[in-house]
Amino acid sequence: MNKVLTVCPYCGCGCGLYLHVENGKIVGVSPSRSHPVNNGSLCVKGWNAYEFVAHPDRLKYPMIRQNGELKRSTWNEALTLVAARLDEIKRKHGPDSIGILSSAKCTNEENYLMMKFARAVLGTNNIDHCARLCHSSTVGGLAAAFGSGAMTNSISEITDAKVLFVIGSNTTEQHPMIGMHMLEAVDRGAILIVADPRRTKIAEFAHIHIRQKSGTDVALLMGIMNSIVNEGLVDTDFVRRRTENFDTFEEVLRRYSPDVVEGITGVKANDIRRVARIYAMEKRSMLFYAMGITQHITGIDNVRACANLVMLTGHIGLPMSGLNPLRGQNNVQGACDMGGLPNVYSGYQTVTDPKARKKFEMAWRRKLPESPGLTLTDMIEKAYDSSLKAMYIMGENPLLSDPDLNHVKEALERLEFLVVQDIFPNETSEYADVILPASSYAEKDGTFTNTERRVQLLRKAIEPIGESKPDWEIICELSNSMGYEMNYRGTYEIMEEIAILTPSYGGILHHRLQEGFGLQWPCHNINHSGTPYLHRKKFARGLGTFITVDFVPPDEPPDSEYPFLLTTGRIYFRYHTATMCRRTAVLEREEPESFVEINPEDAERLGIKNRSMVKVSSRRGEIELKAYVTNRTPEGIVFIPFHFREAAANILTNPATDPGAKIPEYKVCAVRIEPLAKPKKVRRIPSVDLEALRIT
Amino acid sequence: MKKELILDKNNLSYWLRQIRKKRELIGPLMNGGNDIVFKSVDKIHELVLDCPASLPSPKEFIFPQYEPMLRIRQASNVKYQEITDLSEKTRRVIFGVRSCDISALGLLDRFYLKGHKDSYYAERRRNTLFISIVCKDPDPTCFCIGLGTGPYLEKGFDIQITDLGDRYFVQIGSPEGAKTVKAMSFLFRRPQKTDYEDQYEVFLSSKARFHKRINLKGIRQMILEEKVKDDFWQWVADRCFECGGCVYNCPLCTCFTVTDRAYSEGTERIRLWDACMFKGFTRMAGGILPNEMMVKRTKRWYYHKLIHYPETLGGFGCVGCGRCTITCPGKIDMASIATKLKGLAISEEEK
Amino acid sequence: MKNNLKNNKTNANIYIPLNGKIEEITQLTGDVRLFKIKTETPIDYVPGQFFMLSVWGAGEVPISVASLPEKNGTIELCIRKTGIVTSAIHSLKTGQSIGLRGPYGNGFPIDISKGRDVILVAGGIGIAPLRPLIQQFIKNHRKAGKVTLLYGSRTPDEIIFRDEVEEWEESGIAVALTVDKGNDNWKGNVGLVTGLWPEVRTDFKEAVAYICGPDVMIKAAMRDLFFLGMPDERIITTLEAHMKCGVGKCGHCYIGPQYICTDGPVFSYKEIKEQSILK
Ligand SMILES: Cc1cc2nc3c(=O)[nH]c(=O)nc-3n(C[C@H](O)[C@H](O)[C@H](O)COP(=O)(O)OP(=O)(O)OC[C@H]3O[C@@H](n4cnc5c(N)ncnc54)[C@H](O)[C@@H]3O)c2cc1C
Ligand code: SF4
Ligand code: SF4
Ligand code: SF4
Ligand code: FES
Repeated sequence: MNKVLTVCPYCGCGCGLYLHVENGKIVGVSPSRSHPVNNGSLCVKGWNAYEFVAHPDRLKYPMIRQNGELKRSTWNEALTLVAARLDEIKRKHGPDSIGILSSAKCTNEENYLMMKFARAVLGTNNIDHCARLCHSSTVGGLAAAFGSGAMTNSISEITDAKVLFVIGSNTTEQHPMIGMHMLEAVDRGAILIVADPRRTKIAEFAHIHIRQKSGTDVALLMGIMNSIVNEGLVDTDFVRRRTENFDTFEEVLRRYSPDVVEGITGVKANDIRRVARIYAMEKRSMLFYAMGITQHITGIDNVRACANLVMLTGHIGLPMSGLNPLRGQNNVQGACDMGGLPNVYSGYQTVTDPKARKKFEMAWRRKLPESPGLTLTDMIEKAYDSSLKAMYIMGENPLLSDPDLNHVKEALERLEFLVVQDIFPNETSEYADVILPASSYAEKDGTFTNTERRVQLLRKAIEPIGESKPDWEIICELSNSMGYEMNYRGTYEIMEEIAILTPSYGGILHHRLQEGFGLQWPCHNINHSGTPYLHRKKFARGLGTFITVDFVPPDEPPDSEYPFLLTTGRIYFRYHTATMCRRTAVLEREEPESFVEINPEDAERLGIKNRSMVKVSSRRGEIELKAYVTNRTPEGIVFIPFHFREAAANILTNPATDPGAKIPEYKVCAVRIEPLAKPKKVRRIPSVDLEALRIT
Repeated sequence: MKKELILDKNNLSYWLRQIRKKRELIGPLMNGGNDIVFKSVDKIHELVLDCPASLPSPKEFIFPQYEPMLRIRQASNVKYQEITDLSEKTRRVIFGVRSCDISALGLLDRFYLKGHKDSYYAERRRNTLFISIVCKDPDPTCFCIGLGTGPYLEKGFDIQITDLGDRYFVQIGSPEGAKTVKAMSFLFRRPQKTDYEDQYEVFLSSKARFHKRINLKGIRQMILEEKVKDDFWQWVADRCFECGGCVYNCPLCTCFTVTDRAYSEGTERIRLWDACMFKGFTRMAGGILPNEMMVKRTKRWYYHKLIHYPETLGGFGCVGCGRCTITCPGKIDMASIATKLKGLAISEEEK
Repeated sequence: MKNNLKNNKTNANIYIPLNGKIEEITQLTGDVRLFKIKTETPIDYVPGQFFMLSVWGAGEVPISVASLPEKNGTIELCIRKTGIVTSAIHSLKTGQSIGLRGPYGNGFPIDISKGRDVILVAGGIGIAPLRPLIQQFIKNHRKAGKVTLLYGSRTPDEIIFRDEVEEWEESGIAVALTVDKGNDNWKGNVGLVTGLWPEVRTDFKEAVAYICGPDVMIKAAMRDLFFLGMPDERIITTLEAHMKCGVGKCGHCYIGPQYICTDGPVFSYKEIKEQSILK
C-alpha cells in the first residue's frame, strides 16, 4: 500500500490528505497531522474524497453528438472536430463569439493554460469561471481598496486571535477546518461575533449573534463604523499614514447612526454599538466573510464596507488582524490568480494595461485582444440573444449553479457549438456537442491555491481512469491541433512559465513545493519564503482607499405577491452541484433530497407540517420540495440549498447582478410558498377506555 | 524455542528483509514534514520507530476503509450467476505497531469472529503478522496507561520488541510470531540479566512520561449512576462537526456500509467505513431518521464504548490511543470528555 | 432474546448470497407484492426471522419470512415498494433469480404461547411476519387457547392478504380489521388498531401478544397491553432498523446494547424496557 500526500478536492480550506493506493486503485484517505490547516482532522467530505474517483459513471472516452445523440469517439476525432468548429466560428463570427469557462476545480497550471488558450489561440478575453458567482465582488472590491483581493491572514493565525467577526459565512459547515480553528480560538477565550440572518452552527458558538435582514449588510457595517467614529475608536494614526479619501467617506458615514441602521437592518442599536466596541478595542481582531456578503447586487459595496471597517480600526497588516474573504472552491483563489477572468492576466495584471499586454504578447508570440471580455453572466445573456456562438466549458456546471436556470437552459440550447470537459456527466453536458473526459484530482499533478493563498502540490496517485486525460494535456493537444504549439513535459514546466510572467508567483516552482506544505503568495523570487499575512507596511496599491458606499435595498424585496425572502446556500454533506458527492455512498445517503427551511411561525400560519411537500415559486419558476420547519431561519425568510437538480433552487433565483462585479443576487429574491398536500386529518376513534376494559 | 530473545540493532534490517521476501512489509515512514504514515516499506532504513501516532490506526490493514467484497460478472444475466469472492489474501507484516493497537486487535477479533464470522476480516487477520514496539516516549495524547493496554503488553501480541539502545528485546506471543523468528534464529541470542533489567528500565521511564491518566471505569460509573446530565450531552453534541474522524481513526470502531457499483466489467459489492455520527446511518424506509438529533449520536458513541463494549466484549471500546484527541475538530474526544466529566464530578462534590 | 438457530460456524463467506428463483409473484395491494422464491436446497427457518434479499447493482434489504418452511424449498416474502432496492425487487419477473442470505435473527418465541390465548396485533406490512405464525397456529390445530388478530391498514385497498384473512377466520381465528380512512364500500371499523381492544374476548393477563407494525403503533400497543395487565415478558414485538449486514457486524441496527439483527428482531416488552431500546 502506498500513501500519496495531496490536497483535498472539495473546499478552499485546502486540507492536506493522503490518498491510499493499492494495486493502482484508490482505497482510502487519511488526514495529514502536520498540515497547518487541518492538523490531523478532515471534514466528512475530505474523509470520503476517495470513493467517487473510480465511480462507474466517470466519463471514460470522448463523445460527439451525432444526429442528436452523444456517441463514443476517439480522441483524435473529438479534438479535430473541436478545433475545426472553433476555427470556423472564429473566422465567421470573430473570436469574441466564443466564450470559455475555466474551472475553480482545476489546477493553477490548467487555468493558466486555459486563459492562454482563450487569449493567444482564440484571441478573445471571453474567459471567466464560477468565481463570478461567488467572489467576483471580493476580487473587484478589494483590488480597488487594497490592490489585492485575497485573505490577508493565514488560517493558523485564527487560534490566537482575540476577536472573530464573522459576517455572512456558515463557516463550520462550509469551511469546516477554518471553523475548527475558530472554535479553538473561542475555547482559548476569543470573542466570536456572528452576523447572519440564519442561526447557523457557527452562530451557536457565538457570544453575539446579530440577525440582520438579508441584503442590509452595507447598512449594518456602516452603523458599526459610525459608532466606532463616534466613540473615538478610530485608529487615527493608521488612517492618516496608510489610507486616503477618509474625509469624503466620513460624510456619508455620518448618516448611518445606529438608530437609523436599526430601522434598516432590524438589529438593535445597542448591539451595533456593542459589536463596534468589541471589534475596535481589541487589536487581534479578524474579520471574515463569505457568500453572505458577496452574492448581492451590492456585493462590491458590501466588500468595500468591510475593507473600510478594517482600515478604520487599523485591523490589517498584522498577524491575527485582517480581512478574510473565505473562498469556496478548492482552487477558486488559484483560478482567479491565474487570470481565469475577462479583465486580467495571471497575477491580476489587467488586459487594458499596455505594458502587461506587451509582456504577454512577447511571451506568447501572439497579438492579444485589448478590451476586457465577457463575464460568465454576460456570456449567458449573449448566448441567449445568439451573439455568442460557441462555448467551451471546463469543469463547471452552469446548468445547476447559475441563477434563473430556465433561462440558462435556453441560452445553451441556442449555442451553435458547446464543448464540455468534465470528469462526470452533469446537467450541462446533456447539451454538449462534444464531451471531453478529464482526469480527476487523483490522476494528475499540479498545484491548487487555497483560500489563504497557499499554493500546494497536487500529486498524482493513480493513472487516469479509462481514456480520460488531465485537463492540461487536453488543452495542449487542442491548441496544437489549432496550430498554436503548446508543449510541456509536465505541469512543472507550466508553473515555470507562470512564475516568469506573474510577479506574485515569481518564486513558486514545483520543486520548492515538494517539501512541507506549500508557499503562500506573494512569493516574489526563489529565495522568498512566502507571505503569511498581507499589507504589512503598505498596501499592495500603496495607500488604502476608503471607497464611499451607500445602502441600496435588494433588487427584489418580498412583496404581497411573493411575501417570502429566499436565500440560498450550501449544506455540509453536499458540495456545489454534487457531481462528486452524489457518487459517494455516505454523502449521498445523508442528504438525499432537497428541502426548504422555514420558520415554525411561518409554517404554522401557512399550515405547513415538518417534512411535508410544498411548492416554492418565484417570478421565474417553481419547484416542489420538502419543508423543514426550524428556528434556524428567521420569520419571513426561507432557505434552500442549491445542490439538487430535482428541486434546483436556481430556477427561482434572481439573475439581477452587481453592476461592477456581475455577481448574481443569490442571497435575496422574493418567493411564495404553498403547502402541496393539505395536512392529512386522520379521523380517530375516541380513545378506548382502557380502565373499563381492565376491570372486565 | 525461547519466548524471549535479543536482536542486535544491526540485524534488524536483515531480519525484516528476510521477512519481506514472504510478506508485504508495512511500517511507519515519515512523510511531508512530520507525518507518520504506515505504508509499504521500500527502504528499510527509513523506518521511524519512535514516532507519534499514525492516522488512521492500523486497523486499516485488517478492516480497510474500502473493501471490495463480491463481484458478479453480469448482473443482468439472470440464468447464471457467478459470484467471485474478492477477499484480500495478501500476506503482510505490519512493523512498528503500538501496544494499544495490538490490544484493540484482541477485541476486534472477538467482535468480528464471534457468532457469524466475518470472512473478510478473518482472511486478512490470518494473513497479517504484527510486530509491535514498546512505546518509549508516549505522545501527550496517549492514555493507555490507565487502561492496561500499553505502553507494553504481557500477551496478545505476535512479536513485541523493546528498544534497548543498541539492541532489541524481542518477545514472542503467538505461533506465527515464533515461526517468523525461528526461521532466522541465528540472528537472535538469549537475553542476559542486564537485558531484563534494561527492559524494565524502559518500561519504568515510559510510564513516567505519560501526560494523561484517565480512569474510564470512573466515567462509566458516573454514566451508569446517571450523574451525567442531558445538558452535558447537548453541549458535546453542539460541538460535533459530524466529520466521522473519531470513528474512522479509532482502532475499535467497526461500522461499515455496503454499496453496489455497476461497472461495465461486472457489478461489485463493496464495503466502506461508515460512522454512527451521521444521521443517515440509521435512516429507515420512508426517510425516518431515528437519530436525527445529534445528541443521540454523540451519546451513542460514548455509551457504546464505555457501557456496552465492556458488557458484550469484555473491555472498554477504547484503548487510549489518543487518535480521537488528535483528529476531533470539536475537541470532544474521549480524553477531553473524560477529563471534563471528572472535573464536573469534583466540582459537584465540592457543592 | 435467545436465538433459535445455531450460529454459522463454518468458514464459508457469510456475505455470499444464495441463488433463489422467483417462482410466483402475486400483487397483493398497490405497492405490495408476494414473492414465492425457491432455493436449491430447502432452508429451515422460523416465523419472525428474516432474509437479506439482494439485487445486484441495487443492494440488499432485510425482509421477514411470510410463510412457513416448505419441504420443496420455497419461501414466501411479502415486500412493499419503498425505495431503491425494494423497487428493484418489484421490477423482477417470474423465473428470474434473486440473491438471499439467511435466515437471520431470532424469530418469535412459540413456546410461551402453549396453552394460552394469543393476540396478534398487526399494522400495515406488519402482517407479513405474523402470517407464518398464524399459519402455524392453524396448522397445529390449537386445542387450548383462542387466537385473535387485530389488523389495521391505512385504507381498505391496502389490506394485505384480504382473501387469506377470510380463510383464517374460517379456520377459527377471531379477526378484527380497521382502517385509518374508509371509503364508500367500507363498513368496518375506522381508526387506530389500538382502538380494537374491546373486540378481544380474552383475559389479557393470561394471554400472549405478538405485535408487528410501525414504531408508533408498537409503542402504543405495548403500553396499552401492559396497562391491561399483560406481563411484560409475554408482550412480544419485532422491530425494524436500517440493516446492511444482518449478522451483527455493520452496526447500523445497533440500538442500546442490542443488535436488532442478531439479538432481535423479536424482543419482549421486558427486554425493551430493561435495555431502553425503543427510546
Ligand atoms: C427485520 C426486518 C424485516 C423486514 N421485513 C420486511 C418485510 O417483510 N416486508 C417489507 O416490505 N419490508 C420489510 N422490512 C423493511 C424493508 O427492509 C425496507 O422497506 C427496505 O429496506 C427499504 O429499502 P429500499 O432500498 O427499497 O429503500 P431506500 O429508502 O431506498 O433505502 C436505502 C437504503 O437504506 C436501507 N434501508 C432503508 N430503510 C430500511 C429499513 N427499514 N430497514 C433496513 N434497511 C433500510 C436499505 O438497506 C437501502 O440500502 C423489514 C425490515 C427489517 C429490519
Ligand atoms: S474542510 Fe474542505 S478541504 Fe478540508 S477536508 Fe473538508 S472539504 Fe476538504
Ligand atoms: S476512543 Fe479515541 S483514544 Fe480511545 S481507542 Fe478510540 S480513538 Fe483511541
Ligand atoms: S471527531 Fe469529533 S467532530 Fe468529528 S464526528 Fe467525531 S466527535 Fe464529531
Ligand atoms: S444489520 Fe449489520 S449489525 Fe445488524
